[in-house]
Amino acid sequence: MNRRNFIKNIGCGAMGSTTLLSSLTSLGALNGLTSTKSNAPGEDYKAIVCILFAGGIDSFNMLMPTGTTSGGDNGFSEYLALRTDLAVAQTPASFLALNNPQCSSFRGLNCAYSAYGVHPQMTGVRDLFNSGKLSFVSNIGTLVEPIATPSQYHNSLKKIPLGIYSHSDQIMQWQTSVPQSRDALGVGGRMADILNASNSNNGISMNISLAGKNVFQRGKMVAEYSISRNVDPNNVGLQSFPTWWGNQGILQDMRINAIDSLVGQTYSNLLQKTYSATAKESMGSFEIFKEALKRVPTITTTFPNTSLAQDLAAITKVMSVRQQLGTKRQIFFVTYGGWDMHDGLLGGLNSRLPVVSQAMKAFYDSTVELGISENVTTFTISDFARTLTSNGNGSDHAWGGNNMIMGGAVNGGRIFGAYPKLNLSNTNDRNISYRGNFIPTVSTDEMYAELALWYGVSPSDLCYVLPNLGNFYSYSANNYPIGFMNFNQSPISSVNHPLDCLTY
Amino acid sequence: MKNFILCVTALLCFRVSYAQTNKTFGKGNIKGVTVNASSNASNGIKTLMSTGYMPNSKASSRFLSQATLGPKLSEIQGLQNQGIEAWLDQQFAMSPSFNLQNYVQNMHQSMVDSLTARNPTGNYTLSNVFIDDWAFDVAWFQANMVAADRLRWRVSLALSQIFVTSRISAFDDNPYALASYYDMLNKNAFGNYRSLIDSITYHPAMAVYLTYMNNHATDTLAISASNPTKKQVFPDENYAREILQLFSIGLFELNNNGTEKKDANGKSIPTYDNDDIGNLAKVFTGLSWSHSRYLGDNNNVTKWSYTKPLKFFPRDSSDKYIRWWANPTSWRIVNGHEPGTKTFLNQTVPSRPVTDGKLDIKDALDIIFNHPNVGPFMARRLIQHLVSSNPTPEFVDRIATVFNNNGAGVRGDLKAVIRAILLDPEARDCCAEKENVAYGHLREPFLRYMNLVNGLELRNQSGTYRNVMVDLYDRIEQKPLYSPSVFNFYQPGYVPDGPLQAAGKVGPEFQMLNSLSFANYMNGLHKWIISNDPVEYWGIFSGEVYKPDQDPNFNISADYVLAKDNRIREFLDKYNLILAQGRIKPENMSIIQNVLLNMPMTYDVNGVPDATLADRRLRMGIFLIMIAPDYLINK
Repeated sequence: MNRRNFIKNIGCGAMGSTTLLSSLTSLGALNGLTSTKSNAPGEDYKAIVCILFAGGIDSFNMLMPTGTTSGGDNGFSEYLALRTDLAVAQTPASFLALNNPQCSSFRGLNCAYSAYGVHPQMTGVRDLFNSGKLSFVSNIGTLVEPIATPSQYHNSLKKIPLGIYSHSDQIMQWQTSVPQSRDALGVGGRMADILNASNSNNGISMNISLAGKNVFQRGKMVAEYSISRNVDPNNVGLQSFPTWWGNQGILQDMRINAIDSLVGQTYSNLLQKTYSATAKESMGSFEIFKEALKRVPTITTTFPNTSLAQDLAAITKVMSVRQQLGTKRQIFFVTYGGWDMHDGLLGGLNSRLPVVSQAMKAFYDSTVELGISENVTTFTISDFARTLTSNGNGSDHAWGGNNMIMGGAVNGGRIFGAYPKLNLSNTNDRNISYRGNFIPTVSTDEMYAELALWYGVSPSDLCYVLPNLGNFYSYSANNYPIGFMNFNQSPISSVNHPLDCLTY
Repeated sequence: MKNFILCVTALLCFRVSYAQTNKTFGKGNIKGVTVNASSNASNGIKTLMSTGYMPNSKASSRFLSQATLGPKLSEIQGLQNQGIEAWLDQQFAMSPSFNLQNYVQNMHQSMVDSLTARNPTGNYTLSNVFIDDWAFDVAWFQANMVAADRLRWRVSLALSQIFVTSRISAFDDNPYALASYYDMLNKNAFGNYRSLIDSITYHPAMAVYLTYMNNHATDTLAISASNPTKKQVFPDENYAREILQLFSIGLFELNNNGTEKKDANGKSIPTYDNDDIGNLAKVFTGLSWSHSRYLGDNNNVTKWSYTKPLKFFPRDSSDKYIRWWANPTSWRIVNGHEPGTKTFLNQTVPSRPVTDGKLDIKDALDIIFNHPNVGPFMARRLIQHLVSSNPTPEFVDRIATVFNNNGAGVRGDLKAVIRAILLDPEARDCCAEKENVAYGHLREPFLRYMNLVNGLELRNQSGTYRNVMVDLYDRIEQKPLYSPSVFNFYQPGYVPDGPLQAAGKVGPEFQMLNSLSFANYMNGLHKWIISNDPVEYWGIFSGEVYKPDQDPNFNISADYVLAKDNRIREFLDKYNLILAQGRIKPENMSIIQNVLLNMPMTYDVNGVPDATLADRRLRMGIFLIMIAPDYLINK
C-alpha cells in the first residue's frame, strides 16, 4: 500500500486526529515487520552494488606486476620502464603482495605475468583478496565485439565504441554495456526490469542510488530511487513546519495534499509531465522509506568518515530493512569521483585508493555482520583506464583496465581475464597508441553476464539485459562468462520473462 | 528577408512572412499587445520583433525570465513601457558594472584592516590573512543584488556552465581564481567568441582545471648523460579534448541547424579522432604561471597567480634553476613547446621555431573557431540555457547563421547571437507549446533560488549583502563555478526517462532531478520562504560584530492586505505573474487558493488581517507556487 492510497483509506476526516506516521507504524506492527540482523536460512535475497570511480581510474597503478626475473616474469621492470615518473614505487617490495593470484588467460590471450601486488595504500583490498573475498578482472573495457589485434582496430575491421576516450561516452557505456548507442538503458535498470516482479512491494524502487540520477539503474519499467547517505528517518521527505506555527500536523497534511494534487494534475507539456512524474513518485515513497528506516538495527561495523564509506554504510542500513521494504532483489549505485588525474597522479592515488580500500573492507565486513555476505556482490567500474605513459605528472584517457569484484559468493583471490603485457612494442597485440592505450580483452558484457546469472537472470533473458552478449558468449551448463562467481548456492534461474531481446 | 508583412488580426496574432514561409504565432494569448510599427532593418531576425513589440505583463515577465536571473515586478512593468528591443539595446550598451575580483579583494582588505585594528602589531597582510572560496559567492550575490546589467549576468551564468571550470579542483579555496575567471566571462559575454576562447585558454584557472598548466613538449630523450634511461613524457591531452568536445565543436559533424550530419550508411560522422587530440595537445604546451621563471615552475604560486594570464615558455630550462650549482654544460635544456607541424581537424599548424609557439596556439584556436560546427553548437547550447531545451532545427539554424555572420561580416559576435536568440519568434512566441509539447526547460535549482530572491525583491537598508550560499549549495548542489566536473551540473543531451524519452527529446536540467533532490529543493524552499531564512551570513573573522542588515529576509508585509479571503486570489495572481510568468493553470491556482483559505485567519475590528496569520498564508502560497510543475517548467 502506498502512502496516497493510505491517505484515501483513512479519509480526510481522520487526518487531523490520527497522524499518518502513527498509522503507518501500527500498520507495520500488524504485518509483523521486525528488523533482523541475521539472514534467515535460505532467504532469497540478492543485492548488487556498483561503485563508479568517475573520471577514469589509473587502474594500472592499482594492480601491478611484481616479477623481476630477467628472461622470465619481469613484470615489475616492464612496469617501471613504461610508467617512468608515474610508477607508484621503485621496488616491487613496496606493493602489497597478492597470494598466488592464478592470473589466467582469456579468449586465447595469455596473462602476461604471474606475480602481482596492489597499491601500497590498499591493505583492505589486499586482505579481501588474500582471504578469497575479492578478485580482479584484468584488461576489461567497453567493446561491441571482440577486437583481437591492433590492426582490426586501426582498420576499423571491428566495431569501435562511440566516443572512445570521451568521458561522457565511456562512463555511460560502462553503465549501459551498449557502446554503439547513446540511447541505451542501463544494465542495472534492465536487470531490474527482469527481476522486479519478485519483489513484493514496489513502493520503493529496487534500484537505490546514492549518486542521484544515473544511467546504470535506468530500466524501461524501473527507475532509481535516490537517497541521502544520511540514512535517518528524520531526514526523509518534507520537513515539518516550525513549532511556533501551531497546527503543524494539519498544515503539513494540507501542504502534502496540495503538492500531491499539483504534481498529480494532467499536463500536456512533456517537461511538465516528466517533472510531475518524478515529483509524484517521490512524494509517494517518502513515508514508506521513512517507516522502514525506523527499523534499522545497530550496526557495529565501523565505517571510515569518507563519502564512499558513508555511502556504503547507508547501503548496509538500507539492506538491513530489506524485509520492511518488501524486497528480495536490490541494486545499489554509488559514485566516488576525482580520478581524472591528468596531473598530480601519484598524490591523487595516495589520497583516494586508501579511501576505496577501507570503504570496501568495511562494507564487506558489514555484510558479514548482517549475515548476508554471500548475498551481496560489489563491483567497481570507471570511465576507462589511463595511458601507461606520462604527460609529465599524470596520465591521459585510455581504454581497457582493471576492476574489482567483491563478496562472499565471489571466487576470490584470483585475477580473471588476462593482464596485458606492459610494453608498447609492435608485438603487443593489445596496444594501439604510443601513449599506451590497450584494447580491452574482456568486455563489460561478460562481467555483467556473470553477475546477472548469479543474480537470477535466466540465460534466455540475458539478451534483454545485455544486447551485445551474443558477440562474446553463449550460455551452456557450467560454462560461465568469466568464472568469478561461485554458483554453488545460486543455481541458474530457469524463470524466463516475457521481455523481447533488445537490439541497438 | 527584407520584405515581410506584420499584421495584427482581431485575435491579436501575428502573421509573419519570413523567408518565403508564413508562420503564425500568438494564437491570441498575448493579450494587450500593441504593435506600433514594423522595421526595415536588414537583418530579418532583428526586425521580426523590433521596436514595435510592446509586451503585456505576462509576456514581459516571460522575457525577463529568459534574459535575467528572475524578474521583479518593477522590471516587468518597466519593460511593458520600454519594449523589448529598447531594453536589449540598453543592456548591451552597459559595461560590466561589477568587478568580482575587486570586491573580493576589498572584503579581504577589510578583514586585514579589522584584524590590524584589534591587534596593531599583528603584521596582517592580504598574503597572510586567509580568505576562503565563499568570498566569491558573497561577491557574486552582492553583484546580483545591485547590478543593473542584468542580461550580462544571465549570459555569464550560462557561459560558466558551457566553459566550465570549477572550485572542485586545486583552487577550491581561492576566491580570486573564481572571481577572475567569472569577471573574464562577464567581460566577454557580449564580445566575440574568438576572444572568449582566447581569454579562457590563457586563464590560469582553466589551465589548472584542465591540467595544461606547465604542459610539456614530448620528451623521450635520455634523463642525463650518466643515466641513459629515456623519459616517456607526452603532452597532456585534457584541454585539447575538452575544448573540442565541450567548448566548440562537439563529437560529431553538424549541419547548420544543429542536427548531426550522416555518412552514406546513415552514421554520424566523428569530428576528430585520437590522433587529432594528440596533435592538438602538442599545441597547448609551454604555458605556465605569469610569474614562473621556467616551464614547470610551481614555486611562489599565490592566490593572485590565478588572476594573471599565462606566460609562454618555448624551452624548458628548469634544470638551470633546479641544478643551478651544476656545470652549465650539463644542464638539460629541452623543448618546452612542441616543435613541428600539428595536424588536426584536417588542417595543419605549420612548423615554426618553438619561440613562435604562441602563434601555434593562435592558429589552432583559429582553426577551431572557423570549424562550421561552432555556430550550431554554441547556438544550441545558449538557446538551451536561456530559452528551451529542444529548439527546432529552424531556430538553431537562424541563430547559427547569425553566429556565422552577424550581418556585418563578423563571425562569432555573441551580442548578435544573444539578441537573435531572445528576439527569435520561437523564443518570443508564448504559445509555441501548442505546436511543440517539449517547449521550455526545467528551471535549474540555482535559478529557482534567484527567482525567489528577485521576485520577492530581497533588500536591506545598506545595500550590502553577505550571503555565503554554503547551505544553499549543500541543499541544491548548485551555485556558480561549483560544477562536479567539466561536464557541468547537467549535460545538454541528457534524456530523462518517461515522456521526453518516448518523444525523443532532451531535458538537460532533469539530470539534477531525483527523489532526493526534489525533497532537498522543497526543504530549501521551506527554509528560504516558510522559515524566512534566505541569506546565509557568516562572520568574516572572529570577534566581528554581527551586521543584521547584511543578513536580510523577505518582508512581504505590504501584501498582508491581500491575505484576506476575498483578496487572496489577487495575491496569487501577483506572484504567479512574477515567479511563474502567469503560467500556473487555473486548476492549480484553485488548489493553492483552497489551501490558503483553509489556513486560520482573524481580522481586527477594521477588517485588517492578523499579521502573523497573513504572513503564514502568503508564505505557504509562494511555497506552493514554486512547487507547481507549471512554475518549474519555464516555457
